[in-house]
Amino acid sequence: MARVFNWQIGREMSYWYPEARPKKQFAAIFDTNKCIACQTCTLACKTTWTSGRGQEYMLWNNVETKPYGFYPLGWDVRLMEKLGAQRWDGSRYEGRTLFEAAEAGERVLGWRPEEIDYAHPNVGEDDCTKTIDKGAHYHGFHEAWFYYLARICNHCTYPACLSSCPRASIYKRPEDGIVLIDQGRCRGYQECIKACPYKKTFFNPMTGTSEKCIACYPKIEQGLQPQCFVNCIGKIRMAGFISTPDQARPDNPIDYLVHIRKVALPLYPQLGLEPNVYYIPPRHVPRPYLAQMFGPGVDQAIAACNKSADDPDLSALLALFGSTEWVMPRWKRVGDTVMGLREDGRELVRVPVREPVWILKALDQARGVSRMNIT
Amino acid sequence: MTTGRTLPDRPAAAGAALASLAIGLLAIGGGCAAPPPPAAPEVQAVWRDTIPEGPEEAAWQAIPKYTADLIPQDLVEPRLLKPSTPRLAVQAATDGTRVAFRLAWDDATQDERPGAARFTDACAIQLPQRTAPDLPDPQMGQAGRPVEITFWRATWQAAVAGRDDTIRSLYPGAVVDHYPFEAPPLQPGSEAQQAFATRYAPAAALGARREGPRDRPVEDLIGEGPGTLRPADKLLSEGTGRRTAKGWEVLIVRPLPNGLAPGGRSQIAFGVWDGAQAEAGARKMRSGWVPMSIEARGTQAGIAPRAAAGAQGGGR
Ligand code: SF4
Ligand code: SF4
Repeated sequence: MARVFNWQIGREMSYWYPEARPKKQFAAIFDTNKCIACQTCTLACKTTWTSGRGQEYMLWNNVETKPYGFYPLGWDVRLMEKLGAQRWDGSRYEGRTLFEAAEAGERVLGWRPEEIDYAHPNVGEDDCTKTIDKGAHYHGFHEAWFYYLARICNHCTYPACLSSCPRASIYKRPEDGIVLIDQGRCRGYQECIKACPYKKTFFNPMTGTSEKCIACYPKIEQGLQPQCFVNCIGKIRMAGFISTPDQARPDNPIDYLVHIRKVALPLYPQLGLEPNVYYIPPRHVPRPYLAQMFGPGVDQAIAACNKSADDPDLSALLALFGSTEWVMPRWKRVGDTVMGLREDGRELVRVPVREPVWILKALDQARGVSRMNIT
Repeated sequence: MTTGRTLPDRPAAAGAALASLAIGLLAIGGGCAAPPPPAAPEVQAVWRDTIPEGPEEAAWQAIPKYTADLIPQDLVEPRLLKPSTPRLAVQAATDGTRVAFRLAWDDATQDERPGAARFTDACAIQLPQRTAPDLPDPQMGQAGRPVEITFWRATWQAAVAGRDDTIRSLYPGAVVDHYPFEAPPLQPGSEAQQAFATRYAPAAALGARREGPRDRPVEDLIGEGPGTLRPADKLLSEGTGRRTAKGWEVLIVRPLPNGLAPGGRSQIAFGVWDGAQAEAGARKMRSGWVPMSIEARGTQAGIAPRAAAGAQGGGR
């Protein structure tokens, strides 16, 4: 095994291949606080890529209710159980990554979902951590909670899928870091399915090959965001490219949110894959739960988020989410307006930092009717 | 196929028919097993003017059987740490241009349905591409020193036997409400429809479909070391397998390797995968190189029992 640097765990670690970062790394930010679990993203992906025979059960994008929702069943808790309790020392992970915890004869610590584990993608949907008593109401702190976790392939810097494939059928594109399975080379051994901790490779029983999220690379190549991003009703998503922390640029929206403001965090960074989908964590969820899922940066991320309304730049950048189909490699705020820009600074989109708010009177005088609060 | 099939060019046709009847009765008799084929110290491809067409043919009863001990592949990750199939019975016959291998092994479960976390039963033979005394590594060959592999798998055997190319043939309870490529105005089976369906099957678009309809349950491969397997330029081998009460019997027929003529010697290696043990790819039971002789016409060793040899037209 080679030694590579993983900035998300603040240290070097063992990996099957030497460090070879792509020229650009595809990355995404999902704001969990805005997701309504409408599954429009899931369907956008399904209709675009996985409507074929053998793909019926596949959800390259899925949205699950945490803590009781999973697809496939128990994908994260089963792995956590296998890995056992591990330790962070501040922002440095002192525990074992999946590569370091690999069992004898294996390249990665993994587990293999059974067919039945994929059969109930809605399990746990909208399940709350507590029963809500009659008369209970919100008083500033959620005792009972759940939240929606939207998931795609993380196009990891150190993909477990890629390292597990004995045929080297999985590759990471040097131009954008997108991780793909070569469908001409895959022989369906299903090693990647066991190895990917996020369970984002899927075996197609009708082609006999494994398939995965392709980050809509034909769109990325044209400077467009993937289907699940542009169709997102909650406007929770932004796609772009991330730099390493030492190269972070404040005018790169992903760098700004991940490296500079540190409001967006990787999913299960302790596993060691350096995943490239970053989450703005849900603000109402108990911190120990979040720390386990998003690492030690949770407190700082939520503190920054909680103040975002008074933070002109942060609120401006969050307003750019879902504003255009174009990937915005750069951004800029001018007063009350925020702009998404091309690499060369040309404008792609401009939106107000705050949308104007219109308050309608309850009684519509002209029509002589009262409005319900949903009209 | 009956056990006592006779061949047309038999010199003593009547005797052969009687002998085959006797074998048939023995087989049906249950209590008394057919005479076991003689044990062989190496893989002996015996001469037959016509090589048997199926693993079930009675002809095999007269052909020496080599038992290959199998070991787990534990040299490269991912390794197989828990041994499964311990041994493989190998018989071989040649007609001077082709060589047929009959592989039989015990396997309690029949794994022939592809799916997530489901793996197929399978077997393979491996020969050096160049017949020479110094052999490439037995583990899939090595760079510049290729091996030729013929691979059989149970999922393909089921496909050859006519399993439908539908998700319901794999999951009988499956309900599919919509495939976009089956919606009007696309005509079922039309070229336009096929092209649309292929958009959702990139492996098929690349001609690399690993499951689905096919005309033979085997494929020819070239290996130059672990992880290097690639399809051979041409499909050369044929095969067929059948499930028995105890396990699998598979026949693989391929041309004699380059440089290997009747009367010559080479080496062969074997691999067996047990689907129920999640074996696939590198996770397999394998043998090392096993010496193999290819019999020339008219030099038969005469070790076949007389009656059975008569039935098969051998022992001349
Ligand atoms: S999320 Fe899984 S499938 Fe995607 S790159 Fe990482 S290891 Fe591979
Ligand atoms: S489309 Fe957006 S809001 Fe709807 S479930 Fe997907 S991520 Fe959540």
